[in-house]
Amino acid sequence: MDDFDWPWEYNFPPFFTIQLHGKTKELQLSVWTNLVLKYFRHHRESQYTIGDEIVLFSNQQIQRKLSNDGILLILEELEKSGNAAPVDKKRLQWEIYWHPLDEWGNIIYQWASDNGMTNTVCTLYEISQGESSANEEFFGLDQSVLVKALKTLQAKQKCELMSFDDNEGVKFF
Amino acid sequence: MRRRAGVGAIHKQKVEAEKYKDKGIEIQDSQFEQMTKNMEVFRENLEEFAAKHKNEIKKNAQFRRQFQEMCAVIGVDPLASGKGFWSVLGMGDFYYELGVQVVEVCLAANHSTGGLMELEELRKRLVRARGQNAKHQEITNEDILIATKKLKIFGNGFVVYPIGRDRYMVQSIPGELSLHETSVLEVAAKQPEGCITEELLQKELNWNSFRSNQAIEKVVGSGLAWVDDQGEVKTYWFPSLFPGRTIQQR
Repeated sequence: MDDFDWPWEYNFPPFFTIQLHGKTKELQLSVWTNLVLKYFRHHRESQYTIGDEIVLFSNQQIQRKLSNDGILLILEELEKSGNAAPVDKKRLQWEIYWHPLDEWGNIIYQWASDNGMTNTVCTLYEISQGESSANEEFFGLDQSVLVKALKTLQAKQKCELMSFDDNEGVKFF
Repeated sequence: MRRRAGVGAIHKQKVEAEKYKDKGIEIQDSQFEQMTKNMEVFRENLEEFAAKHKNEIKKNAQFRRQFQEMCAVIGVDPLASGKGFWSVLGMGDFYYELGVQVVEVCLAANHSTGGLMELEELRKRLVRARGQNAKHQEITNEDILIATKKLKIFGNGFVVYPIGRDRYMVQSIPGELSLHETSVLEVAAKQPEGCITEELLQKELNWNSFRSNQAIEKVVGSGLAWVDDQGEVKTYWFPSLFPGRTIQQR
């Protein structure tokens, strides 16, 4: 937590006020979107609900915080690049993908074929919590994100999701 | 017998006067000639000196400055040296090289500074950018000022503004700053965090609210300053003057 490398903008008070001037705003949004992805990646988290107070959007030291509208603006910016998606209709609950879903899919598929796991069935638990993926970036990945990533693979006929008992599994081709 | 002033006498006087005048011109000419000769000798010596101490001049910043001053006195610009005898020095190269590096460093930072950078920061970045090869070459703020002067040929994309005592801002985006904007910069540079309010401008510059408002709109509109509306009053911040920006890099 403490070892997170904040950009200097995080201590720059106006960074927490959405800028009106076009170019400055563009720059501000790009710094924010990068920071959000970096933050969630660092903490290996994927879920965020607008209104939750987290350090990322609120800097106690300089007493500045980003408004909910500001947060929404940044998440919508991330949505454009496939790095975030709202989960509910009110667009309050969000998932953040520090890799876009299809990229996640490819990373997992690469891992599966590197480890000779094609044509066998493995559980989702094995993928995100198993020993053989302990060093992988997707280790500990949010279950719902994992399923969505695998679905992009399924759409490309590279795997098939299946459920048995109350466990979910996947077969890579 | 009293001599009368005749035409002859007047004529004689006139001739004498002319003679004096001629003599005067003659002396002047010879003096000038002498001076020119001296200058020639001086230039020759200077050239010899420059060639002899070439390395010293390139390495030692203080030496370089004194040499520059010496050249300025006799009206020689070692930078206009492309082909002339000054090229023995390669001093032109030194500044041209520095100029190119100035451009590189400024452009690389433009996105986060809004196109403005303090001379001192620029110097630090330059020294870092020049790296190991030129480790022994000290770069002074004066060197950078000389180099940036040469960049004027690129139009108004590179301008240096004085902002108070011995402080300069280098602007590396096209578009000249108005007097209003530079005044605002000067005030901001005096604040420890590089942030201003409308009230501060009114107080420091004796401006009315309309004028300070307009100036603020201008600096915000050109991307030089950011707005913060979470304080008691609206504040305006210059990333280029914000100390927190450079602290983290070290």
